[in-house]
Amino acid sequence: MTNPYEREMSRRTLLRRGAGGATAVALGALWPGVGAAASRRAAATPTLGGTLKFARSVAPTELDPANSIIAGDVYTLDKIFEPLYVTSPTGQLTPWLATGSTASKDQKTFTFALRPGVKFSDGSPLGPADVVFSINRSRKNAKGPLSFLDSAITALEAKGSGSVVVQLAEPWAPFLSDISVFANAILPDNFGGKSEAEFFAKPVGTGPFTLASFQSDASSLTLAKNPGYWQSGKPYLDAVEFLYVDDDNQRVLQLRGGQVDLIDSVPPADVSSLKSDSGLSVGLYPAWEVDLLVMNEKLPQYADLHVRRAITYAINRPALVAASSFGTAKPGGSFFPPSLEYYSASTPVLAASLSAAKAELAKSSFPKGFKTTLLIDGGVQKWRTFAQIIQQQLAPLDIDVTINALDHAAFEATFQKLDYDLFIDYAINDISDPDEMASFELDFKAGGSGSYWSSYDNPAVIKLVHQAEAEPVPARRAALYAKIQALVAGDAPFVPLDYPPYIYAFSSKVQGFAVNPGGAYRLEDVWLA
Amino acid sequence: MRSYAARRLVAAVGVTLGVTVATFLLLHVEPGDPARLVLGEHASPQAVAALRRSWGLDRSLPSQFWRFLSGLLRGHLGKSYVYGVSATSLIGQRIGVTLALVALATLFAVVIAVPLATLAAARKERPLDHLVRGLSVLGLGMPAFWFGIVLIEVFAVHLKLLPVGGWGSSPGQHLEGLVLPALTASFAIVPILVRSLRVGMAEVLDAEFIATVRSKGIGEVRVLLAHVARNALIPTLTLLGINVAFLVGSTVIVEQVFDLNGLGSLLLDAITNRDFPVVQAVTLVLAAIVVVLNLLTDLLAARLDPRIRLR
Repeated sequence: MTNPYEREMSRRTLLRRGAGGATAVALGALWPGVGAAASRRAAATPTLGGTLKFARSVAPTELDPANSIIAGDVYTLDKIFEPLYVTSPTGQLTPWLATGSTASKDQKTFTFALRPGVKFSDGSPLGPADVVFSINRSRKNAKGPLSFLDSAITALEAKGSGSVVVQLAEPWAPFLSDISVFANAILPDNFGGKSEAEFFAKPVGTGPFTLASFQSDASSLTLAKNPGYWQSGKPYLDAVEFLYVDDDNQRVLQLRGGQVDLIDSVPPADVSSLKSDSGLSVGLYPAWEVDLLVMNEKLPQYADLHVRRAITYAINRPALVAASSFGTAKPGGSFFPPSLEYYSASTPVLAASLSAAKAELAKSSFPKGFKTTLLIDGGVQKWRTFAQIIQQQLAPLDIDVTINALDHAAFEATFQKLDYDLFIDYAINDISDPDEMASFELDFKAGGSGSYWSSYDNPAVIKLVHQAEAEPVPARRAALYAKIQALVAGDAPFVPLDYPPYIYAFSSKVQGFAVNPGGAYRLEDVWLA
Repeated sequence: MRSYAARRLVAAVGVTLGVTVATFLLLHVEPGDPARLVLGEHASPQAVAALRRSWGLDRSLPSQFWRFLSGLLRGHLGKSYVYGVSATSLIGQRIGVTLALVALATLFAVVIAVPLATLAAARKERPLDHLVRGLSVLGLGMPAFWFGIVLIEVFAVHLKLLPVGGWGSSPGQHLEGLVLPALTASFAIVPILVRSLRVGMAEVLDAEFIATVRSKGIGEVRVLLAHVARNALIPTLTLLGINVAFLVGSTVIVEQVFDLNGLGSLLLDAITNRDFPVVQAVTLVLAAIVVVLNLLTDLLAARLDPRIRLR
């Protein structure tokens, strides 16, 4: 049974809950079908109609894109509202409400061509004023959890009847990725003349579905087909019923009992038994996610490079993953996950070696080891397993680890106050561009988290991160990020433990379901056989 | 009787108030910032501070507590940080599920426990008695969530007689959805009820007045039902009252296992999100339910047995 403390409702939860492991599934093999059985049948003509019953570990609480960050909100409202670009299941940035964009020579002016013929669900046509209104509203929202992604924008203006021009303060390579985030979804200009509250009670968007009903305590939400959707013939489904089922066991049992068609956040331990059920399928989807062991460089032992390298050498990541993920996760290497653009497979990782670990520790100021504590979110089984294995793996170095398990909110508050020695958490990217992860984890002063609360501060790395932000040529960016990944692997500010995938399970009649590495699933392609 | 009732009532109000204060203090001692949880890790310190201010979390503890208390006196339980609606309306949506669960579980407990205890008492120290007592011990040792999952596997996944979980959308579905959870919850108290009722009945069976009744030639079934059960009723009633209060607490786990959106699951979510007004409000309501149940039990017992009033 799920520990109640595992019920945190952030977007991160969905990621963590699906967590557990990497996958042998290659990125390219996922689209358009899911798994071999699904893609075989995906060639068949989609059946129209039906209601998809989808039990999720997360609950919707509000539908305003500009104020949302939690998974239950984000993965609900993105069926109603759409941005100019989206990320495909294979992680590719894809023009959506825009048909494309052009950049000026100095990379500071972008012109978007809007897709012709797109209508909002109330029948009014999409125009440039809607885009200007929506993105301005999002970027100027002081409370917006992801408004920071729009900080490069200085102005937006409508051009003619079908284009929008965006001015940037400086060349900003992640810009199109930033535009694709759900917070930049397009609403009708000025809420179509309604008040904000009225509008979100009956939201109007360009998406494949409209809101049919919403229990204000979040227990269920129903979407209905938008018959005027711009992708003609889609969506195939008549309706989608999202049910909030928090308990892991209960979700799995509801799927097995035929009460629902699709579930999220399948515990890795249940994957093999679900796979062996002939009426069910399991989907593993690579995620922009890495689980990290973070070391507090405010403390003398972790300010010592040799101690950090010794710990990294001492942790046997393949063994850790084998013992915890039931074959779903991949062992960690670079701090970028393999699903993220500019991941470098040739990053010189400090691979497990006890002799190298001992040699590093001997060179440190703590050759005889020390006592330390490892802070975890105790509500998550996976972290408890990780902590116990790490405790054992550090014992030969005479690093004596005490595990400190707190409930989620207390855990977060504690490491954010830097009141910890070591902690385990997962780092994610919200958009297809790796800059978010790079600056959040490495840019000590400007990144927003003091290098993921590690206080790691390497000016050479930070300079490279900023260079990569301004570099428009992909090959050159790749080289910069390869350098960054190599430097970070050597500095070892945190140990990338594993790359867990999202895990979903569904009845075999569900066709065309796919999840992108950011965790979003578009449902207009889903049909019931 | 009046003064007894008045004394119990004062104590009940005192207990409820005590629970409220304790919850408030525990919530604020525990680390975890609701504003940070709502805004996410990218939020600026200014945005977090502004949200804390709008919720009054920047004020001193006594001032926050006073705000809560004065709101309470005016019937306001505050607004949920997460859902943006009043805690009262959230409770209104959920309380029916929890009350229905407790009521059905109590009914099941009585329907299961009374015949078992009667049988065991009538067959005291014989194999049937040992069997019933053995099963009770087994039942006591069985965790509710595990028993619940076994019931789901058998009756929902394999036999498909009942839903795996959830509340459904019609009264018929509500009732179907409550059967397994109520059975699970009732099993937490059935063993205790069986054991105490059996002892009570066995004692009465040995009493001299039963010998008198029997000597009148009255049938054994009637002896058991009309004379024994009735006299064993008072201690059992008290015990049932206490245990129903315990049931209210156990619904937190049972609701979780069976995906019922009652007060218990609301409370768990609220604690995890540090949704202070909701935690405070639900705790208050649960405490009030327990206190009222205990009060009713006390008063009923006093009504049935005049000796209690004089204590």
